[in-house]
Amino acid sequence: METDSMESSTRSNQNDEIHHNGGTFHFSSTKSHSSAAASPTVVTNIVGPTATSVYELLECPVCTCSMYPPIHQCHNGHTLCSTCKVRVHNRCPTCRQELGDIRCLALEKVAESLELPCKFYNLGCPEIFPYYSKLKHESLCNFRPYGCPYAGSECGVVGDIPFLVSHLRDDHKVDMHAGSTFNHRYVKSNPREVENATWMLTVFQCFGQYFCLHFEAFQLGMGPVYMAFLRFMGDEEEARSYSYSLEVGGSGRKLTWEGTPRSIRDSHRKVRDSNDGLIIQRNMALFFSGGDRKELKLRVTGKIWKEQHSPDSGLFMPNLSS
Amino acid sequence: MEPPINDLQIECQVNELLDFPCSIDHHTREVITDKEKPYNCPYCGSKCTVTGDIQCLLEHLRNDHHVEMHDGRCFSHRYVHHNPKHYHHATRMLTLLDCYGRQFCLHFEAFHLKKTPMYIAFMQFMGDEEEATSFSYTLEVNGNGRKMTWQGVPRSIRDSHKTVRDSQDGLIITRKLALFFSADNTNSKQLKLKISGRVWREH
Repeated sequence: METDSMESSTRSNQNDEIHHNGGTFHFSSTKSHSSAAASPTVVTNIVGPTATSVYELLECPVCTCSMYPPIHQCHNGHTLCSTCKVRVHNRCPTCRQELGDIRCLALEKVAESLELPCKFYNLGCPEIFPYYSKLKHESLCNFRPYGCPYAGSECGVVGDIPFLVSHLRDDHKVDMHAGSTFNHRYVKSNPREVENATWMLTVFQCFGQYFCLHFEAFQLGMGPVYMAFLRFMGDEEEARSYSYSLEVGGSGRKLTWEGTPRSIRDSHRKVRDSNDGLIIQRNMALFFSGGDRKELKLRVTGKIWKEQHSPDSGLFMPNLSS
Repeated sequence: MEPPINDLQIECQVNELLDFPCSIDHHTREVITDKEKPYNCPYCGSKCTVTGDIQCLLEHLRNDHHVEMHDGRCFSHRYVHHNPKHYHHATRMLTLLDCYGRQFCLHFEAFHLKKTPMYIAFMQFMGDEEEATSFSYTLEVNGNGRKMTWQGVPRSIRDSHKTVRDSQDGLIITRKLALFFSADNTNSKQLKLKISGRVWREH
């Protein structure tokens, strides 16, 4: 079977369901399909030039997103996705006829046998997915680009790790440090101003990797707190090869936290809300600051090291974001 | 009178670690002078108004409050909370530790800090502040690849339990984090917090 390629220009949309990255989609028959023998319901999977046309048929004429059940059509057979159906005030956008509530079940079923490569194939993902599971995979694909880990504003920049490191340094003016130990002093003259979450980010480079050390002041239900935690610039699986510790102290008291860095795949907010880091109430932080305890002068020391956690030792990670 | 503490149990696995035979006879009392002010019963949160010297309070705690006493500088307790729904009852546990010829109170308590459920553990010294500052203690809680350690100076029981708790002078964690430490492969949202620690003399 000859391969066919489809090229299209980049279209960006809210849902990012179809995103033609200017690359080519090759619908080839290189994957051996054993489904003809195994599955009684699917006779053959759609491959080759046919796959292209079917894929195009599944694109909503209004929003250009991939359509998912329920797929609608008008009396003349023009299709429409369910999101757009709500917005077109009962008029088919293609032929202006009155829309009913006709569902295009046939198209939905045909989509079942469509197989497509992951949209991140050009970033290295080798996998091919049935139409209905492609989206789910893409939201978890290990080859997908990372989002900017800068806390606070929702910076929408994406890219690979080296790109994001430069972006943090050049655009967000984040401090960069080489080494695996640190000793930071956080000073804030008027600690009462904790209403707006304030944060600081430092990037550490060690073990050939990059880590983000977040320090933040915010309001938790129990009042103003400070929190420090580490995130790994990479995927969760690799993050588990590392451990870190953070320590604050003063006046004969010391609080130490030891943990595994979270991946930057987990948003800053998610990690913060899971309390997965060193948390100190403001009163205690002021106590550690010494002096007249009106000014925050918190010394946080810490280190990062390589530690291989075995799959059994404490890797049960319940959902901390609830 | 007292909020029910049936839901909060303590499962103890105490390490009785004595490095070397102690030369101090643990049963020897200090000479109590008339000038020495009696101590208040350190039993947490209750309206107990019993006062007395240390030995007297120890017997009172044992007999009237049914507090357990353990020998040794190291300890390891598992706090189990069977009915997390009954969180609104502030639940607390007190254990006594006997070492260096002195006694220490280990408090563990569930409470709310501005509507956020928290747990706190801290140590108090059964004696005066001056002697209390010659000791240090650590409390450690771990699980699921995370560990939190608190190192502090035991407060004298001259400070009320409430004073120490409200000053947050101890190991303090949100309930969310405590449940994370407790999590195992079952889906129960039950608190099973293992707290270990030790006491030592600084000078």
